[in-house]
Amino acid sequence: MDAALLEEFGLGDARERAESWRYSAQALRALGAQSFVAADAAATPPPALMERCDWAETRGRRLVFVNGRLSAAHSDWRALAQARPEVRIDSGPAGATVIVLPAGRTGLLHIVWASVPGAAPGRWNATCAIRLEGGTAHVIEQHLAAPGADVLGALGSELEVAAGAALHLTVLSDLPAAASLYRRVRATLRERGVLCTTHALGGGRLQRFDFACDLAQPEARCELRGVFAAQGREHIDAHLEVRHAARDTASDVLWRGVADGRGRGVLHGAIRVESGADGADARLQTKNLLLSPHAEIDAQPVLEIHADEVKASHGATVGRLDERALFYLRSRGVPERAARAMLIEGFCREAFAVLDDAALGARLDTWLATHVAAGGERRP
Amino acid sequence: MLTIDNLHVRVAGKEILKGLTLAVRAGEVHAIMGPNGAGKSTLGHVLAGREGYEVTQGRVVYDDRDLLELAPEQRAAAGVFLAFQYPVEIPGVNNTYFLKAALNAQRKARGEPELDAMQFLKRVREKLSVLHMPEELMNRAVNAGFSGGEKKRNEIFQMALLEPKLAILDETDSGLDIDALRMVADGVNAMRDPQRAFLVITHYQRLLDYIVPDFVHVMVDGRIVETGGAELAHQLEAHGYAWVAERKLAGAA
Repeated sequence: MDAALLEEFGLGDARERAESWRYSAQALRALGAQSFVAADAAATPPPALMERCDWAETRGRRLVFVNGRLSAAHSDWRALAQARPEVRIDSGPAGATVIVLPAGRTGLLHIVWASVPGAAPGRWNATCAIRLEGGTAHVIEQHLAAPGADVLGALGSELEVAAGAALHLTVLSDLPAAASLYRRVRATLRERGVLCTTHALGGGRLQRFDFACDLAQPEARCELRGVFAAQGREHIDAHLEVRHAARDTASDVLWRGVADGRGRGVLHGAIRVESGADGADARLQTKNLLLSPHAEIDAQPVLEIHADEVKASHGATVGRLDERALFYLRSRGVPERAARAMLIEGFCREAFAVLDDAALGARLDTWLATHVAAGGERRP
Repeated sequence: MLTIDNLHVRVAGKEILKGLTLAVRAGEVHAIMGPNGAGKSTLGHVLAGREGYEVTQGRVVYDDRDLLELAPEQRAAAGVFLAFQYPVEIPGVNNTYFLKAALNAQRKARGEPELDAMQFLKRVREKLSVLHMPEELMNRAVNAGFSGGEKKRNEIFQMALLEPKLAILDETDSGLDIDALRMVADGVNAMRDPQRAFLVITHYQRLLDYIVPDFVHVMVDGRIVETGGAELAHQLEAHGYAWVAERKLAGAA
């Protein structure tokens, strides 16, 4: 079945697919060797799972999908519908959802993708398209899974940002060791369109994230920030591709990765500037931290430039915790464990620095405390 | 308060301190001067507990405890503070968060009640105003993007906030202009106290015009070769370190 999975999850021809999955081939093969039944869309998520997405700041602005299907029982977007009656949300029984956000200030929209395991390993597939026709919106996408049997979710998303519109997208994933998730996002930005994304990817047996951002028209701009954190035997593989296809477009990719235990992380960041896309400004920076001798991170920055007037920079590092910084904190009285946690969290927090939303900042801090500070705690 | 007896220290297989002996009592300010490579910074690091320094002989007693047995954070809680020659930049860690954690960890280790946010802020404001430092500093990441002078002043601010019993200043004057130097000295002088001791490691006599020491020690090749009062610093400035070495040779002959 792994060939079928590769076919389904991979892009391009067979060679391209094999190349883009080279660091995760084994994890995919193991998934492929397993048989899955269709995950039950009518499954009842445990209350503890629903509590984790019941954020006060998004009440009445929340869609909850259970195993890839919209759950009317757990969703509530009345406040959003009241504030913005022209917002359209259509979700079919086959798992295809289209959300249209007309011009204006949409505010928050919280989309929760909950995987709920059954007795046997289960699979779900879904698609979700979000079209921002103007103005601004902030979409929060949250991925959760209840502990139990294996669940493999696959979500294909499309984001369209109209001319002059600005979409903020914050993605938090928080998966147990048995859950796997494949996400493919294709974003298209029109003239002066802005897309700012912040990702916090944590946990999972295999979490693969394919993100392609197309700066299709002049002065479109994207900021892709994120952190992945893999502990235990977790495996997270993020592929970010930005294509500058028009003049005066800008991209800024800033990612942090942390791996502990036997955790495995991959960050492939590729920026392509097409011929004619002069005036492009592309930045790509990824820093990664290995917290154990058995952890592994592969960072792969790629710049491909076909235009002449371009500003581009890229950098990738993989290193260990700075012993000098650790000594500095300890010499001021911070105990070793706390000092380690402080350094690791600080390292990740740099990627979250652009957010000026206090409530969301607190959510990300909680995420950090769960997925990275624990690494500091576990050390002797 | 601090007794260092015949201390020998190796770093990466090389002996740096070769039998250093020094006694510091509460209330005293000791200056340690010496040429590059004499082992001055090594002394500071060994006292603060940095890893990678192998003590092969001798002992260090601080307040009746074996200092070398303690972890760096235990030394801090016991009142030892090292102002770094090269303060470390820690992006992503906010100064307020770090210092509150440090102060409260120390207080907890000493069995004192932790300060709440209000009490902490009050103390921060008090110390900032003494040092004429902007409150904005507290909202920045630890030393990240600070100029050399700002980093050194931040060290002195942290010292003021943590109120150590034994403060070791490792070339805090290096790279400072005259105004920043004066500010650092004012910060130290404001903290001089019968209960507190200072070990001021410096390369130049300049700082000692502002922080007048009770004792000046000259360190050469891992040992203290001469001890005197504040006037010794001026003699050194006039004659250079070679003068001390020559006098030693003459004395030995």
